[in-house]
Amino acid sequence: MRSLATLAAFILTVQGQALPSIRPQMFTLPNGLRVVLLEDHERPLVRARLHLTLDSEAATRPGLAPLALRVLRHSDAAAFRMEDFEQLLAGAGIELTSALRSDGLSWSLLARSRDQDLALGLLADRAFRSIVDPATLEAERLACWRETERLDASPRAKLRSLLEPDWTLQAPTLARLTAITYEDLLAFYARTLRPDRAVLVLQGDLGQEQAKRLVVLSFGTWTVQPPPPVPGAPTSVPAPAPTPASSPAAPSPEAQRIQVALAGAGLRAMAVAAEPEDLGVEAGALLALLLPGNPVLFPAQVTLEGQDLVAILDAEPLGSPSAVETSLRERLQTLRQRGFTEQDLDRARAAWLAGRALTSLHPGSMVDEALAEARGRAVTPEGMAAVTLGHLNEALRRWLDPARLHTGVVGGSNR
Amino acid sequence: MRRLALLLLAALGLNAQALHLDEVQERRLANGVRLLVVERRGLNAFHAALVFRGGRAEEPPALAGATDLLARTLYGATWPEDLEASKGAGSLDALLKEEEGLLESLRLERLRQRKDPAAASQASALGASLWTLHEAVRARFSSSPLMDVYAARGGRQTAVASADALLVQTELPMAAFEFWCHTEAQRLAILQLSRFSEARAALAAELRGQGSQGLALLQGAALPGHPYGRDLADHLPALEAMRRSELQTWARRACGPDRLTVVLIGGLAMEAVLPLVERSFGALPTVQEAEDPLLPEIPADLGDRHIQASLGGAPGLLVGWRIPPRPDREHLALRLAACLLGGGPSGRLTQRLVHQKALAQSVEVRMDLPGGRLPGLLVISLVPTEGHSLAELEGALHTEILRLQQEPIPAEEWQRALTQIDVDQLRVQDEPAALARALCLAWVEAGDWRQAEQELQRLRNVGPEAVQAAARTWLNPSHRTTLWLQAGTDAGQDPLEAETARVLKALAATRIEDLAQREHMVAEGLRQLRMLSMEERRRTLKLLEAQLSPEKR
Repeated sequence: MRSLATLAAFILTVQGQALPSIRPQMFTLPNGLRVVLLEDHERPLVRARLHLTLDSEAATRPGLAPLALRVLRHSDAAAFRMEDFEQLLAGAGIELTSALRSDGLSWSLLARSRDQDLALGLLADRAFRSIVDPATLEAERLACWRETERLDASPRAKLRSLLEPDWTLQAPTLARLTAITYEDLLAFYARTLRPDRAVLVLQGDLGQEQAKRLVVLSFGTWTVQPPPPVPGAPTSVPAPAPTPASSPAAPSPEAQRIQVALAGAGLRAMAVAAEPEDLGVEAGALLALLLPGNPVLFPAQVTLEGQDLVAILDAEPLGSPSAVETSLRERLQTLRQRGFTEQDLDRARAAWLAGRALTSLHPGSMVDEALAEARGRAVTPEGMAAVTLGHLNEALRRWLDPARLHTGVVGGSNR
Repeated sequence: MRRLALLLLAALGLNAQALHLDEVQERRLANGVRLLVVERRGLNAFHAALVFRGGRAEEPPALAGATDLLARTLYGATWPEDLEASKGAGSLDALLKEEEGLLESLRLERLRQRKDPAAASQASALGASLWTLHEAVRARFSSSPLMDVYAARGGRQTAVASADALLVQTELPMAAFEFWCHTEAQRLAILQLSRFSEARAALAAELRGQGSQGLALLQGAALPGHPYGRDLADHLPALEAMRRSELQTWARRACGPDRLTVVLIGGLAMEAVLPLVERSFGALPTVQEAEDPLLPEIPADLGDRHIQASLGGAPGLLVGWRIPPRPDREHLALRLAACLLGGGPSGRLTQRLVHQKALAQSVEVRMDLPGGRLPGLLVISLVPTEGHSLAELEGALHTEILRLQQEPIPAEEWQRALTQIDVDQLRVQDEPAALARALCLAWVEAGDWRQAEQELQRLRNVGPEAVQAAARTWLNPSHRTTLWLQAGTDAGQDPLEAETARVLKALAATRIEDLAQREHMVAEGLRQLRMLSMEERRRTLKLLEAQLSPEKR
C-alpha cells in the first residue's frame, strides 16, 4: 500500500517537473541515416555524434574492431592525406575523436558554429571516405602491440586491462592482432560503416532546414558498400573463441585470479563485472545510484566505468592476496544476497528524477541522452516507475553473479 | 577544388570571438568571502565552485599532504552525520578524539618496535581497540545506500587539491540551492573530518603504490627547496604522523573566509542568492589571518640540470624550463609558444618528431606545473620510438626549440594556435563547469577573476615576435632541467639507486634519531644524486659505503 502511494507520488512529481529541455527533431535520409537535431541558438559551439552499431560478428574477432578504428584514424580521407586532414581540423580548431565500446563505435565532433559546414564535411570524410591501405594496417598493428606492451608501465592499469570483460576494450594478444588480414578490415568496414546502421546527433546553432541541407550535403552520398570477397580463414593463428560478457564460464576464484606485481605497494584486490546485456536501462540507472558508496561494501569501493562495475579493496597490512580477494568477493556477495528495500528503491527513483536537471549543465550529456533515445535506450520516467523491487534485486543478483566477476590482485610479488 | 574550398572556409572561420564575462557579478561579504554569480536563465540546475587559495604550496613540511587530505575528508562525500556539531562524552566528536589518541599510540608503538624488535609489543592490543572504536564510529553512520546527501538529491561533488588551491565543484538541481548553502557553511563551521583515518591510510597507500613518478622527479630537480618542487611521496612519514586535530587547526586558517571565493552558475540571480549566501557563508567566523608563508625564490637561470632515473617502465624524456608566474607579462607569450609546440596532432613537435622524423611515439606539452601562481615549469614529455636513443630525441627537441626562437613562425601555424585558444575560450563559455574553473583559477593564480577575460584580450595583441622573444628568454639552457627515464628492470627500481638508498638509510640511522626526518633526508639525498652522471653516482656510492662500518657494507 505504502509503495503504491510512493509510486503515485513519483508519477505526480514527474508530471510536475517537465524539463524545459530542447525538443529533439528527427529526420531520416533516403540512405537510412537517422538524424536527431537539438536546435539551440544560444550555443557558440556545435557538437555532433555519429554512432554506428556493431554487428555480433565483430565480437567473434577480438582485436579487429579496435585495430580497424585505429587504422581509420591514421588513413587518408577523401581528397586529403592524413596529415592534411589533421591540419584542416586543427586550422579550424575542430575536435574529432573516436570511441569504441561493445555497443558500437562513434565519432564525436566539436566545432565553432561558423565552422559547422567544414566540420560535418570532415566527419563524413572520415566516416565513409577513408582510404585504407595495407601499409597503414601493418604500421598500426605494430603500434597497437607496442601500446599493449606499454601497459606494464602502470601495474594497476595493467590489472584493470587484464580484467576487462568488454572485448572491445581488452588489450589484444599478439596472436589475435597477427591473425587480422587486410580483407578482414575491408569486410568489417563494409559491415559496420553503413548509413542504415548509423545515428547522427547534431546540437547547436542550426535550424532544421539548415541541418537537413548540411547533412544531405555531407552524408547524402553515403551508401551501403558491398562486402569484399570472403577471405579464407586466417592461417597463421586461429582466432580464439570469445567469451561473451553475458554468459561467462564460471571458473573457481583460485583458477581465475590474476596477480600483477607492484614492488613496495600494499595489496589491492579488484573485481570487474560487465553490465548484463538485457539488464534494462532503468534497472541499470538505479543500480548506478545505489552501488557506489554502498555501506554494505565498506571499506571496498565500487565505481561504474562505462558499462563495467569495478570494485576495489585494499588489504590489511599483513593481508595475503587470496585473503583480500576473498574478502572483496564476500562483500559483493553479501550485498547481492541482502538486496535493496522498497525505501532504497524510492530514494534512488527520487535521486534519479532530481538528477535529470543536471543534464542542462552539460551540453555533451544532452547529446548522450538524445542518442540513447534514438537507439531506444533512454531511461524514461514511465520505465522508472515500472521497476519493481523484484526487478531491481534480480538485476543486482545478475550483475554480481560470482560467475560474471573477474577478479585480480595488484601489489606484492608476481605469482 | 573541394580541398581549396575547405581551406578557404577554414581561413574565414579564424576571426577571434570575444569572451563575455560582463555577465559575472561580484560581491564581497563582510567576513571576506567573495561571491561571483553568473546567471544563466533556462538552466534548472546550478554549478557551484568553492575555491580556497593556498594549496599544497602553502603547507608547512610537517603538514605536507594536508590539502589532499582535506579534499578527501572534508569534501567528496557528505553524510548527514558530518554536519552534526555533536560535543560531549559519547558523541561522534569524542569518538574521533579517542581514535586520534589510539592512532598516535599505535604509530609510536610501531616505531618503538622497529627500533627494538625484541621488546614486548602492545600493537595488537592497540589495533584491537582501534577496530572496536571504528565499529562504534561506523555504527553512528547511516547504513542505507545513497547516504550521501547530495547524491540523494540528484547531485554530485568533486574536490581536487592542487599546488595553488583546493577546488570543490558541486552540481545540484535548483531546488537544492538553499540546502547547499546551509550544508557547505555547516561543513566549514564544524570541520568534522570523520573519515580522516581512512583517507590518510588510502592516500599513503596510493603514494606507496605509485612509487616514484617522472614528473615529480623533474619538479624536484628543477625547483629545489621550493614547495612547488615537493614530492608528497617523500613526506610519507609526516603524512602518517599527521593528526586529525592538527589538520582541523590548519583547515581553520586554510579554509578561512578570506581565502574563499564562491562561484555560482545557473538559473540564479544575484538578488535571490545573496541573502542566502550571506546568511550561511557570511556567518562563518573571520580568521586572524596569519602572514602568508614566506616561500623561497628560485632564480629562473639556475643552470642546466640533467637527471637520469629508471622507474621500471618505458623510457621517456622530460624537459622542463622554469617560467614566470601567470601574472607576468611574458606568460601569455609562453602560453602561445606551448600551443605552437604542442597543440595536439597538428602541433609542431608531433608533426616533426612523430610524423616526419619518427623519433617519438608521443609528445605532450604542459604549462604551469605544478601551479601558475608562482614561477613554475613548462614541461615537454616525449616517448622515443624503438631504435632511437634519448640523446637523439633530446637533440631533435633542442633543434625545434631553436627553430621556434630563431625562424619566423609561418602565418598558418600562428593562426592555428590563436584558433585553438579561441575554441578553448568558447568551450569555457559553453560549459558551466569549465567557466567556474576558469574564474577560480584566474583568481587563485593571477589574483583577479577578471584576468580570465582580460588575458584573452591581451593575447590577441601578442605577436609572433613577442613569442619568439619570450622563447629566447625563458626556453634556454640555463632555465632547463632534463630527465632521462631509462627503460627499467622488472624490479621497478634501478639497482644503483636501490643500493644508494640502502647505504644512505644506514648512514642516516647512525646520525638522525627522528624517523620522519631520516626518511626525508634519504629522499632528498637520492634526489640530489640523480643529477650526477652514472659514473659520478657510482663513485659517490663507494665514498658513502666507505663511511659505513664493515658489517653494514
